[in-house]
Amino acid sequence: MLDLKNLHARVVPEDGPSREILKGLSLHVPAGEVHAVMGPNGSGKSTLSYVLTGKHGYEVTAGSATFEGEDLLVLEPEVRAAKGLFLSFQYPLEIAGVPVMTFVRAAMNAQRKARGEAEVSAPDFLKLSKAAAARLRIDPEMLKRPLNVGFSGGEKKRLEIYQMLMLEPRFMILDETDSGLDIDALKVVADGVNALRGPGRGMLVITHYQRLLDHIRPDRVHVLSAGRIAKSGGPELALELEKSGYDQFLKAG
Amino acid sequence: MQLADLPSRRTETWKWSDLRAAMAGQEAVLIGTGAMLAEGPIAAFAEMLGDGYGPSELVIAGQDETFETRMSEGDAGQFGSVTLKAGASATLLERIAVTGSRLRPFLPAHARITLEPGATLKRIVVQTNAADAVDAALVLNEAVVTLGAGATFRQFVLGQGARLARIETSVTAAEGATIEMNAVYLAASRRHVDLTSRVTHAAPGVNTRQLVRGVARKGGRGVFQGKFLVERAGQKADAAMQHNALLLGEGAEVFAKPELEIYADDVACAHGNTAGQIDEDAVFYLRQRGLPDDEARAMITRAFLFEALPSWLDEPLRGEIEGCIDAWLRASS
Repeated sequence: MLDLKNLHARVVPEDGPSREILKGLSLHVPAGEVHAVMGPNGSGKSTLSYVLTGKHGYEVTAGSATFEGEDLLVLEPEVRAAKGLFLSFQYPLEIAGVPVMTFVRAAMNAQRKARGEAEVSAPDFLKLSKAAAARLRIDPEMLKRPLNVGFSGGEKKRLEIYQMLMLEPRFMILDETDSGLDIDALKVVADGVNALRGPGRGMLVITHYQRLLDHIRPDRVHVLSAGRIAKSGGPELALELEKSGYDQFLKAG
Repeated sequence: MQLADLPSRRTETWKWSDLRAAMAGQEAVLIGTGAMLAEGPIAAFAEMLGDGYGPSELVIAGQDETFETRMSEGDAGQFGSVTLKAGASATLLERIAVTGSRLRPFLPAHARITLEPGATLKRIVVQTNAADAVDAALVLNEAVVTLGAGATFRQFVLGQGARLARIETSVTAAEGATIEMNAVYLAASRRHVDLTSRVTHAAPGVNTRQLVRGVARKGGRGVFQGKFLVERAGQKADAAMQHNALLLGEGAEVFAKPELEIYADDVACAHGNTAGQIDEDAVFYLRQRGLPDDEARAMITRAFLFEALPSWLDEPLRGEIEGCIDAWLRASS
């Protein structure tokens, strides 16, 4: 489903020199699987999520990234989104003056339009929204407020998963979704994420800590260090990391 | 009146809107007309181009009446006064529509507005510009407002600019008056829109709120000059001024001069002023959710501007103004 081969990428700040962050990253996530990418700060976890979704300021210098056989890197961010790529942001943006539901409906319809599908009807949209909000224990009043403005860290993360449930993406990247969540909220969010697991979908769970993976059980775990995958294994690798830390990989990298 | 009588960039309050330069080559309009008036150039233009109709006088004693004026190229200047008797309430709607026609391109209006104690006025100025690309229009609009004790003045201005457009409001407030003056300006390419205002807090307990939001595209120029003056007698003034502008592209210009001048010692006055570009991270967030780049930018810009639309603005006017903003955002230049 998602295939990364020897990916090299650098961050290009508006001021200052560019820095190479990804240095030959290879990764394959088949449809139906959940893969975790773990790694210390600065290992390139967020860069990976931004490169895959097409954020400005990141430049791929070598290698490839394909989604269902199609070159992702040449596509505009909104085209990638319409193909089913969704990023749950580590730091969701505040969008003043745009109510959550207005925004999500516009996004949903933009994606449908790009795929040549009909727009969602108002009753259908409300039904979907109600179900998603109930699953994530989101107060419906919150969905009328401007997106993320004045929301707590936990509320913002819950809103990310709400958008994910609404947009029903085919491939999800969760970037540090557990940060800012207490244990109860973590369970609610994990339940929402697990609801989207299925044979046609893939997922990349990027996290620093193991605790999210207690609730979203990965099929594979990869350790990202110094811009490449240093080790891959089953779910037990996450537990091992929790015990022994990342130092072993830092030295090796 | 002569060209040399007009304010130019050397005149502090007109430094970003050079009226003399805008009138160069069109001196013929000025010849044979009256002298510069003490009220200033906008009043002089309005009277001069009033085509001999003389000043209009409107006295309002009733409740909730709406009075509407319209002006376009070729129309006579408007010059006159509006008085609201004590306790009266009314809405004044001034429509200034630049069409790009070849008729006389001067659209001047000057009004002296007096609110007696306890009166309430909503004033809405909708200045649109439907010309294709370039227009020759000179829009000059000024209201000089005097508020009696406990009077309420609410104003909203939409300015789309012209070759040169200046919409100016001066308010002098007596005890306990309430003032709200919001505005939105949209400066497209080759358009100049100047919103200038001055509020004098001349007595105790005046409450003033001002929120102005503007956008400028490449080759467009927006000007905001706002001044709050609190005189020695203006104790307990509660006044907040906010101007925020978005520059939509390289070569867009916004000039802003927010000013507080305070002579009383027990006041709460604040002002904020920003001009910057759209947050690219926010644009990316919206695009990641599937909105095309232009729609993402329009959504952010629209929400930014709509925040300045006052809650008291009733339908269908509110819908009309939102429609003007949306149409402007959809247009490419």
